[in-house]
Amino acid sequence: MNRAAASRWTDGSMESRVRKRYAAERRFRLAGLIAVALSVAFLAFLLVTMAWKGLGGFTQVEARVAIDFPRSDLILDPAALRGPQAQETVASAGLEGVLEQSATAAYGPAAEDLFGAGSVEALGDQLIADPALLNSRAEIWLPVSSRVEVAAKGEGSPEAERLVAAMQARGGVRRAIDWGFLKNADATDPTAVGIWGALKGSFLTILVTMALAFPIGVLAAIYLEEFAPRNRWTDAIEVSINNLAAVPSIIFGLLGLAVFLNFMHLPRSAPLVGGLTLALMTMPVIVIAGRNAIKSVPPSIRDAALGVGASKMQVVFHHVLPLALPGILTGTIIGMARALGETAPLLMIGMRAFIANPPEGITQPATVLPVQIFLWSDEVDRAFVEKTSAAIIVLLVFMLLMNGLAIYLRNRFEQRW
Amino acid sequence: MSLSIALAAILVIAAAAGWAAFSRARSLRSKDRLHSLPVYHAAFVALWAAVPALFLLALWAPVQNQLVESVVLSSPQAGALPDSAMQRDVILQEAREIASGQREAGFNPESADLAPVYAATSARYSMAGGMAAILVALLGAFWSLRRVGVEFRARNAVERWLMAVLLGASLIAILTTLGILLSLLFESLRFFSMVSPAEFLFGTQWSPQTAIRADQAGSSGAFGSIPLFWGTIFIGAIIAMIVAIPLGLMSAIFLTQYAPSAMRAWMKPMLEILAGVPTVVYGYFAALTVAPLVRDLGLSLGIASASSESALAAGLVMGIMIIPFVSSMSDDSIAAVPQAMRDGSLALGATKSETIRKVVLPAALPGVVGGILLAVSRAIGETMIVVMAAGLAANMTLNPFASVTTVTTQIVQLLTGDQEFESAKTLAAFALGLVLFLITLVLNLIALTVVRRYREAYE
Repeated sequence: MNRAAASRWTDGSMESRVRKRYAAERRFRLAGLIAVALSVAFLAFLLVTMAWKGLGGFTQVEARVAIDFPRSDLILDPAALRGPQAQETVASAGLEGVLEQSATAAYGPAAEDLFGAGSVEALGDQLIADPALLNSRAEIWLPVSSRVEVAAKGEGSPEAERLVAAMQARGGVRRAIDWGFLKNADATDPTAVGIWGALKGSFLTILVTMALAFPIGVLAAIYLEEFAPRNRWTDAIEVSINNLAAVPSIIFGLLGLAVFLNFMHLPRSAPLVGGLTLALMTMPVIVIAGRNAIKSVPPSIRDAALGVGASKMQVVFHHVLPLALPGILTGTIIGMARALGETAPLLMIGMRAFIANPPEGITQPATVLPVQIFLWSDEVDRAFVEKTSAAIIVLLVFMLLMNGLAIYLRNRFEQRW
Repeated sequence: MSLSIALAAILVIAAAAGWAAFSRARSLRSKDRLHSLPVYHAAFVALWAAVPALFLLALWAPVQNQLVESVVLSSPQAGALPDSAMQRDVILQEAREIASGQREAGFNPESADLAPVYAATSARYSMAGGMAAILVALLGAFWSLRRVGVEFRARNAVERWLMAVLLGASLIAILTTLGILLSLLFESLRFFSMVSPAEFLFGTQWSPQTAIRADQAGSSGAFGSIPLFWGTIFIGAIIAMIVAIPLGLMSAIFLTQYAPSAMRAWMKPMLEILAGVPTVVYGYFAALTVAPLVRDLGLSLGIASASSESALAAGLVMGIMIIPFVSSMSDDSIAAVPQAMRDGSLALGATKSETIRKVVLPAALPGVVGGILLAVSRAIGETMIVVMAAGLAANMTLNPFASVTTVTTQIVQLLTGDQEFESAKTLAAFALGLVLFLITLVLNLIALTVVRRYREAYE
């Protein structure tokens, strides 16, 4: 086919070529659509899997058991339960034996390990709340052990599932919302674990990060955008900030380990060290967001302020910074959300210890929510799968809230000049 | 007197001096025209009262710890201490904690004897340091208060302070970079004094388990890092990119060129959410859902060695994680191509896809490539996905269903669990970190330069 023939409309060759080109156009467009659809489908698959697996983690399986306290061999003084030592009294009272007796009495010998450590704790809490229970035969709903819980949710051993079926037939099993999951800290028994300790640790860590990274980031952004002379130092600062924003987070963990722990001897596993490490990681993100926000404030504002006699500092702090603040805040919140979800650097500085009490301050050992998720994901007990996914749901809710806030701020306050 | 009391005292002095300056300047203002507002006078005085004293305190705190330690070690009670440096440090640590009331009693009986010495010495030294700092605060307050006057340019002085603060804040970035480099270098040098750099960089055997007993099998430990870097590249730069580049690039093209604006307004935040999901969630997803699927797929394809910790599972999920990153970088560079180029191509009769493939993409290529390099740098430094979904066996294999290990997995593995400092095993993590840092540094520098050059070309 020569060139003249190719562009002749009479013999149809041109039309067939146009048709081919249009088909290619449609194919290309379809490929784009498929790419977007696949990406969104992955997101949906991930969220649905987590939600499906995790929603059960907010509930627990409870079994009804009748305990005849006066006739049991339990020696507990109701008066001691009202005192300040109530927790210790209950813990040393030997409730396990009573529970085991009552369970086998109600549901046969197969129910020997119906109740676990979490159940004992729950019974203790109920007794402290209502010491009058001790004077009578009481019907109590208690969370079951993790082995039975897994069986009740359909994934357990055959014996355990038979036990659950027998109990269900007598109305002895129910599902209830697990408030302890929101109130407790880590535990060895999956039915007794909670995320409050990790959430508190996350909160303290983010507080330290915020208190350090936000002021330093904003001040550095102001200097680089408004005052820095163009020279090699400024270039070096700029390159190192842009590079730090892309350095793998685990490297910051190594820095934290070498400098804060091994050199400065700050307390291990503490939110203080975690916050410091994450602040170094978040600061470049805030600087970059801050510079973009400051850059988008039009020069006419600066000229007007300078024109009426403001000093350069006053121009920046009285006029440019307030106008740039929404943009800076958006970037800061996104940076904080990233810090909140960060795991690897915190593993390096030892925030992976088993910590059964929520931290009271920034120098006490703590863990954070993502690390808690990582720790639970390593557990062998099947019941932890649900708890891990439930913790992931909580983490994702926080991330969504923070990102939503950032998007809202951007749409609400962003000015187009 | 502890240092925190001195700290509080300094802040009170600064506030009081600032208030004094404020009232003095205000009373001057009623008679005469001041150069600066009273609030600047107040800030000037408060800064001079607080900053030098706080600086002194910050310098004193570590010096004091050293001094107290040396005094305690030379005290008669310290004669009972064991010779081993590690045990001595543990006992000192316990004594320190007992002295500061953090714990009731130590595990070692020696620490109980040392605690009172510790408490007394540190009380003496913090008294001295605290008094000196308070003295400096008072001196600064009086000196600066005397300067408050009608002619005094307090605003300019405060602005000089502010300027120093701004400069200091921006220097922290350089300090962090230096800190990373120095701490990694320092620990790596100690590692390389035990293991030769040539073995580390070119060796193909990785088994860092150093033995507890000397006669144990494999007691030497092998530190050849090639298999780790191969695993990292295989997962992060090959499998993940095969997923992320086509999907990310095509999503960006579709969203910028074809999608109606309503769809774009919905899809972009969706992709941002994908980018905001914490990596530990991706890791859990990979380990719990994707890895079994991939293993079953491998088994059904007749690959008997299909592992439940396959490179493919980790790489796939990592690719999904990188999609929004590639997409937003390509989005930016496609948007930066001047409209005139697009219009010219369309005016010649090219279809939209021809314009995109033959005009827009070649013009945006440097930016896209820069974005992909940044994505690779992020993928090879990604930790949680590979820690949770990839294996620990250092294999050099091309089989995506087999298990490989990565640099970041090994760093986590080496530094968690029982740590004995000074051992080659622990220090190897820092050497791996150094190499990882240098690789990502080079990738980032190339990418950032490419992206910046290209942006300038069209501006």
